[in-house]
Amino acid sequence: MTAKTAFEFYTSSQLVEITSQKAGDLKEFREILKGIDESSIFYHVHHAFREHQFAPGVYTNDFAHWVEEEIGEHVLAERLANINIKDYTELGALRDKIVEILDGYLNQNPAGGTVPAKRGFYFCRAIGIVLKTRYEAWDYDEFCAALKKVGLRSLFFHFFEARLRLAKRSNDFSNWIKDNYGDEILAKKIEALDPYIYTMDQLRDRIIALVRKKRDGLIGRIFKWLKIR
Amino acid sequence: MAQNKIAEYSRFIRPQNFDELMLLAEKAAGKRVRMVNSTAVGGGVAEILTRVVPLYNELGIKTKWDVIKGSGPFFGVTKTFHNALHGIKSDISTEMFKVFQETTAANLAEMSFDEDVVIVHDPQPAGLIAAKERSKAKWVWRCHIDTSHPQADVWDFLKGYIEKYDASVFSTPWFARKLAAPKYFIYPAIDPLAEKNRDLSAAEIETVARKYKLDRSRPIITQISRFDYLKDPLGVIEAYKLVKRHNDCQLVLAGGGATDDPEGGQVLNQVQEAAKNDPDIHILLLPPYADLEINALQRASTVIVQKSLREGFGLTVTEALWKAKPVVASAVGGITLQIIHNFTGLLVHSIEGTAYQIRYLINNPQAAKKMGEYGREHVREKFLITRKLRNYLALLIALDHPNEDIIQG
Repeated sequence: MTAKTAFEFYTSSQLVEITSQKAGDLKEFREILKGIDESSIFYHVHHAFREHQFAPGVYTNDFAHWVEEEIGEHVLAERLANINIKDYTELGALRDKIVEILDGYLNQNPAGGTVPAKRGFYFCRAIGIVLKTRYEAWDYDEFCAALKKVGLRSLFFHFFEARLRLAKRSNDFSNWIKDNYGDEILAKKIEALDPYIYTMDQLRDRIIALVRKKRDGLIGRIFKWLKIR
Repeated sequence: MAQNKIAEYSRFIRPQNFDELMLLAEKAAGKRVRMVNSTAVGGGVAEILTRVVPLYNELGIKTKWDVIKGSGPFFGVTKTFHNALHGIKSDISTEMFKVFQETTAANLAEMSFDEDVVIVHDPQPAGLIAAKERSKAKWVWRCHIDTSHPQADVWDFLKGYIEKYDASVFSTPWFARKLAAPKYFIYPAIDPLAEKNRDLSAAEIETVARKYKLDRSRPIITQISRFDYLKDPLGVIEAYKLVKRHNDCQLVLAGGGATDDPEGGQVLNQVQEAAKNDPDIHILLLPPYADLEINALQRASTVIVQKSLREGFGLTVTEALWKAKPVVASAVGGITLQIIHNFTGLLVHSIEGTAYQIRYLINNPQAAKKMGEYGREHVREKFLITRKLRNYLALLIALDHPNEDIIQG
């Protein structure tokens, strides 16, 4: 079934800016975090997803990584690593959650707030350059074929960046499916995929599998209908 | 030198990275860029410019590369500045500032800038920013060294120039200083097709090993570096001696000189003195363009060491990782970005630690092999020249869109 509008695959390239904000301990870190630009939070929580992941077990968000490696507060690092960014469709809410975890930890461990980091945390932010790729899809088959070919950063753009930086409520794939096929169930299934469980390659394969299953179901129903006729 | 074409790089990197490079190039095509540094030969900056300038041109960015002219005293001053910026206590006189200013003025008199973007590398040519008033270009200062703890007088002097740039680029976030204009970070990178990194045949490696009388039946520990106090070659010899008490092995200290490093001869003399009674220590002063030999020496090695006391980024580590060699390196500067301890290599903090980890790798070849493989993958994703080209193209685009978080292509 042909869609009303094609899904155009974009990708985003990044240039990383170093802000002037640097935290030397957890208290400073919390204070800076409260006021830092949202694009900084986006960068530190997401940039690992843009890269090919070959290192199992490494924390994906920079905050958890820094707390583990430079402060040595393992419990706090684990709590920060465990934030599911998919639960947050606004970066402000994600910031609040991180601050809440820090507050909780510092209330229980007030002395931990001033333990100097081996190396401070340097807040950065990414400038995103959005580029249209040569791939587009007019139906589920083309969608799966294109998604298989585009890079992880295209997947990243449509799955995370569009949702959080361009303030769309869901990922682009789910939006396209809802708008063109009215399929709320498939859209929700894709939205529910948890990138913390999957690598980006696996996430791509899961999306393709869900769409193919739907397409196969549609074809099956058409054959069944033709048979009855 | 035969120039490699951009398409040849596609076999080393994931297709998404290559596609993104081409999309960015399409968007930035037509821009005119001038690169300026202080030496045409020797050192990481000259090496990388040699590689990237032709590639930018092939990608449609019209790029020129100029080297400033300077006398021996000028490079003596800039070497002292270099050490002081790295936080090594250095005696600075007003005469030094004067030498710097005079050389800057002499170069300014001979140069004009009509490009869209001028990228000035490191402190030596930083004073060229005075030409900004008479050019329409955006000016970028590209700092390759760690300026996180500089000696105040030198930084204050240079800051007068650096603050006038439209943007600056550092190798890591923690190398940067506070500056009013935007600061970006772009990791350095190596070229997998360069003579120093390309695949070599067994015969090519053997020829070089024979030339330098290396016995490949015994472990070879190698540090490739300029003869510079900050690379601690004497510390490497000490570490080797500690290893040698337990394991028969050889040490190779190999490096060239750079025209902007007047200290090299003095360090080399001390190293030769420390090594003179041990035939298993090979001190090799390599001429410029000895890239094939460096490549072969790295590939012939059992363990690669980089025991720097301070380090910019440490591209010799990148080179070793790309060759899937197990690396023992100091946890300084950009080395900590490249070596994930116990995964892509081993980080150390002392002569004793260096010796201990070398022994571990010599005696555990399977672990050493696995580490080498992970190291190569790490470099493939993060530290190859194609990633750096992408970042610079993004910079060229971003310079036209100040204060925009998301630039729609």
